[in-house]
Amino acid sequence: MKKSKSIKVSRTADVVITYAILIAVAIFFFFPCLWLILSSFSDSGSLYTLNGFFPEAFSFQNYIDLFTDTQMYNYPEWFGNTLFVAVMSCIFGTLLTILTAYCMSRFKFKSRKALMKTTLVLGMFPSFMAMTAVFLLMTQFNFINNHWGLILIYSAQAPMGYMVQKGFFDTIPSSIDEAARLDGATNFQVFLKIILPLSKPILVYTALTSFTWPWSDFILPQLLLPTMDNWTVAVGLMYLDETEFARFAAGSIFIGVPIVILYFCLVKYMVNGMSAGAVKE
Amino acid sequence: MADIGYKSAPREWLEHLAKKLKEKWDAFCAMLRHGNIRVACSMLLMGTGQMMYRQWVKGALYLLVQAGFIVYLVMAGARDFFGLFTLGSVEANPWYGIEGDNSVIMLITGILSIIVMVIYVSLYVANVRGIYATQLRVEAGKKPTTFRQDVAQMFDRKFYRTVLFLPVIGVCIFNVLPIVFMILIAFTNYGGDIVPPKLVDWVGFENFGKLVAVGEYTTTFFKILGWNILWAVASTAINYFGGLALALLLNKKCVKGKVFWRFFPILAYAIPGFITMLGFKYMFANGGPINYYITQGGGEAIFFLGANSTWPARLIGLMVNAWISIPSSMLLATGILSNASKDQYEAAKIDGANAFQQFWYLTLPFVVFATMPVILSQFIGNFNNFGVFYFLRSDVSTSAGYVLANDTDLLINWLYKMSIDNNYYSIGAAISLIIFIITSVISLVVYVFSPSYRQEETYR
Repeated sequence: MKKSKSIKVSRTADVVITYAILIAVAIFFFFPCLWLILSSFSDSGSLYTLNGFFPEAFSFQNYIDLFTDTQMYNYPEWFGNTLFVAVMSCIFGTLLTILTAYCMSRFKFKSRKALMKTTLVLGMFPSFMAMTAVFLLMTQFNFINNHWGLILIYSAQAPMGYMVQKGFFDTIPSSIDEAARLDGATNFQVFLKIILPLSKPILVYTALTSFTWPWSDFILPQLLLPTMDNWTVAVGLMYLDETEFARFAAGSIFIGVPIVILYFCLVKYMVNGMSAGAVKE
Repeated sequence: MADIGYKSAPREWLEHLAKKLKEKWDAFCAMLRHGNIRVACSMLLMGTGQMMYRQWVKGALYLLVQAGFIVYLVMAGARDFFGLFTLGSVEANPWYGIEGDNSVIMLITGILSIIVMVIYVSLYVANVRGIYATQLRVEAGKKPTTFRQDVAQMFDRKFYRTVLFLPVIGVCIFNVLPIVFMILIAFTNYGGDIVPPKLVDWVGFENFGKLVAVGEYTTTFFKILGWNILWAVASTAINYFGGLALALLLNKKCVKGKVFWRFFPILAYAIPGFITMLGFKYMFANGGPINYYITQGGGEAIFFLGANSTWPARLIGLMVNAWISIPSSMLLATGILSNASKDQYEAAKIDGANAFQQFWYLTLPFVVFATMPVILSQFIGNFNNFGVFYFLRSDVSTSAGYVLANDTDLLINWLYKMSIDNNYYSIGAAISLIIFIITSVISLVVYVFSPSYRQEETYR
């Protein structure tokens, strides 16, 4: 009797502690977001007049300013630039990555192992190493201040991360395509008609990751887009200072919300994609 | 057993290579002896042999490739290639109207010319192989392939070539070329005062000497390296085990409303990193909300991220990085845990194992084994984590006792400040080579010791 009671007590304690930790975790992750959201609606613009975490008066003025007061900070223009670069890089990057991964998974050609090892080694180099050279290259090709230059770089570097996708294709049994090959389908048809319809999760994962990278990258745009009107949102927001804090918050919320919604819709695919690439190296 | 195979691997590999080379050489000799006049024609002028076999389009394309290559060589290629070695000999002089050589551009175009040559040579080899294959085909009594058949092959048996062509070219230009460029830069004196129009020269290992011999760079280098390693180990451990703990917590039977609790980490995961980092910078700023409450409570404002706060800034960096990275570790661990077999846990329970023992002997080995490659890539990602301190301490450019770096900077930040902000390109390149050596040695060690790497085929 006594023993069961102590088990019961420890069970309750366990539940209480579990929930206490969960609440702490929730606050840890949610509070900074809440703070940013509240600040974006605050009446006072500067960080110094905000008086702590919670603004005293609320208004929509920051959002209105974001889109109307474009003399200094042309947010709508930046937003358009970001969207353009991200969508284009997403289309080309996804296409190249998926095709590369498919080939690496399905064709046992001669230089395959060598290619795989080369990409592994190339991935070890710090990405900044390339910055100076990329900048000089882009100057040579006359791609400075041009969004297509950015798109070119993002799309060209995307296939380097084909490993996750290859891991996914490896899990699709090759007996499926062998059967189709016996029926006379070419490899291209096998890819288009059989593999692609089975790869929706990894397609979504690839598209999402190759969209969010340019969407939130600040290094390349900063280097390659010197003119303010050509900036992306990430570069623009970096240049707002503490007196423009509310504008920064509003701009962040506006660019963060679409991505957050996308993630929540597609989180299932993200988990699948990540664990596919992780386990089946 | 595997160890024995490992020790002799280099020798085996060399023997294998020698065998392969011999086979190639034999095949080449056979072709020379056996090849007809059309093969010889194609060797001399690409595509002519193909035309003799009435493969007009293919032949014309090959001929065009050769013509284009020769034009390139005459117009720029040869000059570019030799420019790689000289790095220019004429210094610009506006007084006399001499335009001069731009060493850095010469370096880049020189590498580009090598890439073009490699592509040309591989096309040339394909050309000769193709014509010899056609000869054998005709001798066997078959007809040479038509252009239509060739195109069909490109979407079937040789589909991989068609597909991989573009990515390989792209990676060559935007990954390989920049990396080769920076490796070469590490052995020149490019940077500081010596930037175009001045001529850059090869200096051998001088830059590495500057970094490791006693001098102003050396103390900075070793201080940063020490902190960099500590940072990488600490943040990888925090993020990985934090994520695992969160996943286990959410997996508990007593937790109701898992979707609700999972919402918060996923929210953090979805927010673009630069917003998070800038947001935290504002939060801990001198006039930020945290200092507001401190001053309201009668305390003195703390400069969390100021010039003299080494450890507060470092700890805040770890915290921010955890905020950003724990959610993805959690998602990953959740995915892995759902694959764990339930039977083992049942058996363990019957044997009387408590929760901790189950975690220590079942969950942990399983998860760590399954995610070894991810831990490695997270470690390297953290080792080269540029963003956190770039944003958090953007106001502090240098600290006392450091050259062009502050006391929270990682090697990658130092590299950035050196090369992008201050034009010390050659030293920056030397640093990046050292980063590469460190990360690749670590990866190699993990590669050799972790079983999950060597089992590519076991999962199929």
